[in-house]
Amino acid sequence: MEKKKCIPNRLPPEVYKALENIVGPEYISQDRAVVECYSKFCVDSTGALKKHAKDPSNIPACIILPGSTEEVQAIVHVCNRYKTKFIPFTNGMITFNGPATNEPTVCIHVSRMNRVLDVDETTMSARLEAFADYAQVQADAMKKGLWNGGSPLATTLSKLSSQSAFAGVWQTDHKYGTLGRNIVSIKLVTAGGDILVTGSDTVAGVDDFWEYGPGPDLFSLVRGSGGTTGIVTEIVVKLHAWPGGKSLPEPPAGRPSIPTYADPKHDTGPAPDRYRLLWIEFPDFESELAALRKIGQACIGQGLNATGVYNAYYCSQTQDMTLERVENKFFPPYNCYVIIGGVTSEKQIAYEEAVVRDIIAETGGTFLNDAHKADVIEALAPWNLDCIRHVTGFRMNRHSYCGSNILGGPVDTVARKTRQVWSKAIETFGETYVTDRGGMDDTPFLYSSNHGGRFWLTEADVYPDQTKPELLQKGQALVVCGIINTIADKYGPGANGLGVSIEPVTSFMPEVGPNAHLLFRGIRDIFDPNGLCAPGRQIFSKQEYEQFPEQALAGLNKMRQMHGLDPVER
Amino acid sequence: MALQKSDIEAIVGAGNVADDDATIAAFSSDQSAVAPRRPDMVAYVQSVEQIQNIVKLANETLTPVTPYSSGLNLHGAAIAGQGGIIINMSRMNKILALDEDNWYVIIEPGVTYEQLQNHLVSKGYRIMVPFGVPPGRSVLTSYLERDPVMAAPSFEHGNFLIMDTELVLPNGALFKTGNWTSGGEPGAPAGPIRNSLFRMWTAAQGTLGIMTKMGLQIEPIPQRKVFFIPLHNVACAVKPLKQIQYREIGTECLLLNNFNLAAMLNDEWTVPADFPAAPASTERFTALRSLLPPWVLIVSVNGLPRRSAEKIAYEEEALRQVCDEANIELLETIPNISGAAQLFESEMLRPWSILKKFNFKGHVRDLTFKCPVNKVDELIEIASKTSCDGGYNCTHIGVYVLPLERARALHCEIDLHCLMSEAATVNSLWLKVSEALMNAGAYFDRPYGAWAPMVYGRAAGYSDMLRNLKKETDPNNIMNPGKLCFTN
Repeated sequence: MEKKKCIPNRLPPEVYKALENIVGPEYISQDRAVVECYSKFCVDSTGALKKHAKDPSNIPACIILPGSTEEVQAIVHVCNRYKTKFIPFTNGMITFNGPATNEPTVCIHVSRMNRVLDVDETTMSARLEAFADYAQVQADAMKKGLWNGGSPLATTLSKLSSQSAFAGVWQTDHKYGTLGRNIVSIKLVTAGGDILVTGSDTVAGVDDFWEYGPGPDLFSLVRGSGGTTGIVTEIVVKLHAWPGGKSLPEPPAGRPSIPTYADPKHDTGPAPDRYRLLWIEFPDFESELAALRKIGQACIGQGLNATGVYNAYYCSQTQDMTLERVENKFFPPYNCYVIIGGVTSEKQIAYEEAVVRDIIAETGGTFLNDAHKADVIEALAPWNLDCIRHVTGFRMNRHSYCGSNILGGPVDTVARKTRQVWSKAIETFGETYVTDRGGMDDTPFLYSSNHGGRFWLTEADVYPDQTKPELLQKGQALVVCGIINTIADKYGPGANGLGVSIEPVTSFMPEVGPNAHLLFRGIRDIFDPNGLCAPGRQIFSKQEYEQFPEQALAGLNKMRQMHGLDPVER
Repeated sequence: MALQKSDIEAIVGAGNVADDDATIAAFSSDQSAVAPRRPDMVAYVQSVEQIQNIVKLANETLTPVTPYSSGLNLHGAAIAGQGGIIINMSRMNKILALDEDNWYVIIEPGVTYEQLQNHLVSKGYRIMVPFGVPPGRSVLTSYLERDPVMAAPSFEHGNFLIMDTELVLPNGALFKTGNWTSGGEPGAPAGPIRNSLFRMWTAAQGTLGIMTKMGLQIEPIPQRKVFFIPLHNVACAVKPLKQIQYREIGTECLLLNNFNLAAMLNDEWTVPADFPAAPASTERFTALRSLLPPWVLIVSVNGLPRRSAEKIAYEEEALRQVCDEANIELLETIPNISGAAQLFESEMLRPWSILKKFNFKGHVRDLTFKCPVNKVDELIEIASKTSCDGGYNCTHIGVYVLPLERARALHCEIDLHCLMSEAATVNSLWLKVSEALMNAGAYFDRPYGAWAPMVYGRAAGYSDMLRNLKKETDPNNIMNPGKLCFTN
C-alpha cells in the first residue's frame, strides 16, 4: 500500500522574507519540526483527526514570534498585503480548530510577550502582555494584597489574553463572575491591522481604570470572538482585595515526570490564610440542587461549585487511580464545595460558615471532614490551594479533552437540562470515557456565576482517547448533538454562550439570535475585511461559509432533523 | 419617498400618531444644553411588532427614527437631531415577569423606576436604583445608558445587572441576547456566542437599535444600618474611602458636599415633576448648609438574607476600626439634623430627594465623569476653579461621588446651577469646565451632546471602529442619526 505523505503548505518566499524582516531570523521558522509542534491544539479533536488522516491543513506554514504590539501589527499588515491567512496563538489551549484552511497560514505565537507590566493598587488592576498567565499575575498582585479573582483549571497553561477571547470560566465565578467581567481593557491588533484599545484607556489622556469605552462598548465584540477579531497584545485585568497573605503555601516541588508516579504530597497544600474550603456531600441530586440554590441566594462565599464526577480524575495522581475511583465510586457524586474568604475580617469567615451550616442542616447534606470520610477529604486536598490557584494541568488524569457542552441559566433548569442533553447524546452516539455514563449524565459540573445564585454554568466534557479516531469522531458528535439539542429545545445559547468557537454551528443555526450569524459575520467583516484571521473559527467569513463542504452541511442537517429542526440551506 | 403620517397610522393605529405643534414642541427639547430640534411626528407604539414595522418602513424611506421611553435622559438622547419619527415607547410599560425563584424581572421600556420599585417593594424585593434618577425615568433606558446604581460600590450587587435582552436591530429584525437567544426562557446574560454582547448597545442612545425588553437582577430588600462620616474636604475622604472599599464594608456608599446634602434635607423643597423646574426660596436651604459639615461620606451596611444582624455587626465593627485608624468620626446621624438616618434608609430604595436641587435655580448643568480615586480631589478643584474663573459662584456647586467596584473607579457628578436667564452663560462655562476636566484626565464615558466631539476627538481608533459598526448595522443611518460620533 502506498504510504500517504503529509506535506505542509509553504509560504511564498517573498511573504516569508517580509515577515523575517520584522522579527529577525531567530524568531521565525518554517522548519518541519517546529511547525508540527503547532499543528494540534489541546482541545482540538479536528486537529487530532487530521493527524490520523495525514491531512496537512492544520500545520501552519510558519511560526513567528513577535516581541511587541508593533511587531504584531507589522506582521498583520504583511499578511493583509499578501492576503495570507494567520492565526493568533498563545498556549494552544484552544477548544476546536487549528488553522482550518488549506491555504498557507502564519501562526503568530506571542510567547515572547509574557510580562506583567504593572500592578496598580489605586485602580486595582494589572496590565499584562498577551502571554502572561494566572500564576504570574497572582504572584505579583498578592504581594500588594490583591488578586485577579480566580483562575481556570490550569494556571500556567492559560493565558489571560486568549481566555478573554474565549470562555474565562473559573471557580470563583460565584463572587467575581467570569473573566469577561474582570477585564478593564484590551489592546487588540485587529485582523485588518489597526490598533483598537477598549475601556477608558482608549481616550487620550485617560488612565486605564474603567471597562467601558466611550458610548457603545466594543469590548463585547472582541470578548468571545475566538480570535476572529484580531490579536490581543495587552490586557488590563481587574484585581480584588486579597486577604490571604503575600504568597500562597506551596506543596513540595520535585514531582518526577513518570506517568505511574503517585505521591500525593506534590498536590497537597493547605488553604491560604483567611480562606476556608467546605466540602459537602448529599444523598441525592435533588438535595444537592436545593442546597446550591440556598447557598447561592445567601449571597456568601467566593466560590460555589459542584464537581460531580470530576474529582475522580482531578484528584487522582494517575490514570489508573482515576479509573479505580470511578469504578468504586470513591468520591461522593452529589457534592458541592464552598470557597470562603475573610476579606472584611476573620469574622466574615465565621459568619459565612455558620450560614452554610444552617443550609446544610436544612437540606440533609453532610460535611466531609476528618470525622466523616477522612480518606475522601484527604484525597480532595489538591483543591485546598487549587480553589485559588490551579496548578493542575498535569493532574488531569483522564484522556484528552476535546470539547464541552456548557449551558447557562438558573440552577434547577440548567442542571436538569445538562443531564437531559448529555443523556440523549450518549444514548445516541455512545460514550467516549468512563465518566460519561453514570457520571456527567447524572452530576454535571456546576459553577455558580452570580452572587445571588441567579445563573449558573454547567460543563459536560468529552474525553476520548486521541489514538482512536472513531472515539474522536464520537466525541465531536456528542458535542454538536448537545448544542443542537439545546437550540432545538429553545434552551439558551448552549455551548456557544461563552465564546467557544463552534463553527459550523454558528452559521447553520439561524434559530440563535435569531440569525446571530448574520450580525456576527458583519462584525467580522469590520474587524477582518480580508477574511484572514483565525480561519474557520467562531464565525465563518463569507468565503469560508460558501466553501463549507456540502457533505458536512448534509451531516449537520441530518443532526438538525434528528432534533426536529428543518434543514438549512446555504 | 417621504414617510407620511398615514403610513405610521397604518402601523400603530389612528390616534396614536401626533404631529400637532404642541406635541412636536414638547418633544423638541429636554433640560439639557442640547439644541432643540423638531421631529416630524411622534408615534405611540404598543408592541415590538409595531416598532419593527416602523423601522422597516423608515429604512425604505430613509427616515430617521429616534427611540423615546420616558424623555428623562436629560442629555438630548431623545431629541430627533435630524427630524423624522420619534418612537414613543412610554405606553409599553408592563412588568412582564417577576421571577421570585431566581430574583429577576422582565420589563418593557416604559416601566419607570417608581412603578417598578413600588411593585417590587410590595413583594419584598428591590431593583438597584441610581442616585438622583427621576422617579419617572425608564428603568430599561437607565440601565442601557449605564447609569451607575447606588449599590455600585459592591462588585457583586451593583454592577452587571442586565440579564436577557430583546431588541429591534436597525434593519427591523428582532434580536435577543442571553438565554433568550434561542427563543425560550430567559435567565442568564451570556449569549449568543459572545458572552456579554448586550454591552454593545449600552450608552448608544438608540443609535444601534431599539431595546424593547430587558431582564434585570433584583434582590430581597436587606436590613441595613446607615453611617455618616463628616469630613472637611475631599482629600481627607480618599484614604478612608479606599480602605472601607478595600475591606468590602457596606454596599451603598456615597460622598456628598453640603450643597447636595442640604438640598436633600430641605423639607421646604419638593422633587420636581418636570425639568427644568421653577426656582424656589433658598432661605431654608442656606440655613441647612450652614449646619452641615463640608462633606459627608455615607455608608450603608447591609444584611444578607440569612443571619442578617450578624453580618451587619461584623461589618460595623470593621467600619469602626477603619475610622478609628483614620482618626475620623463615625456617626449614626448627622449632627444638628434630625431624620438623616431615616432619610437615607428611604433613599436606598427611592433615591430621588437629590432632585430637589432643581429648586435652587431651576436648571442644572451636570458634569458626569469617572476617574481614579487618586484624581478626584484634583478634578473637583479644577471644576471649582474653572467655574470661579468664569464668573460662577463656586459655592453653588453640588458634588456627588460614588465609588465603583470597591473604588477601582469613582463616578462623579458636579452640578452647575443656573436660572433660565443665565443659561447661555452657564452653558458656555459648562463646556469650558468639561474641557478642563477632560484635559486633566476625567473620563466622560457617556459622551452625549456637546461632549461627543470632545471625547471622540481624543479616541480616533475607537471612533473609527464605532463608525464602521454603525455603517455595517445601520447602512441607511436611520437610527437616531447625528448622535455620538455618528455625525454624518
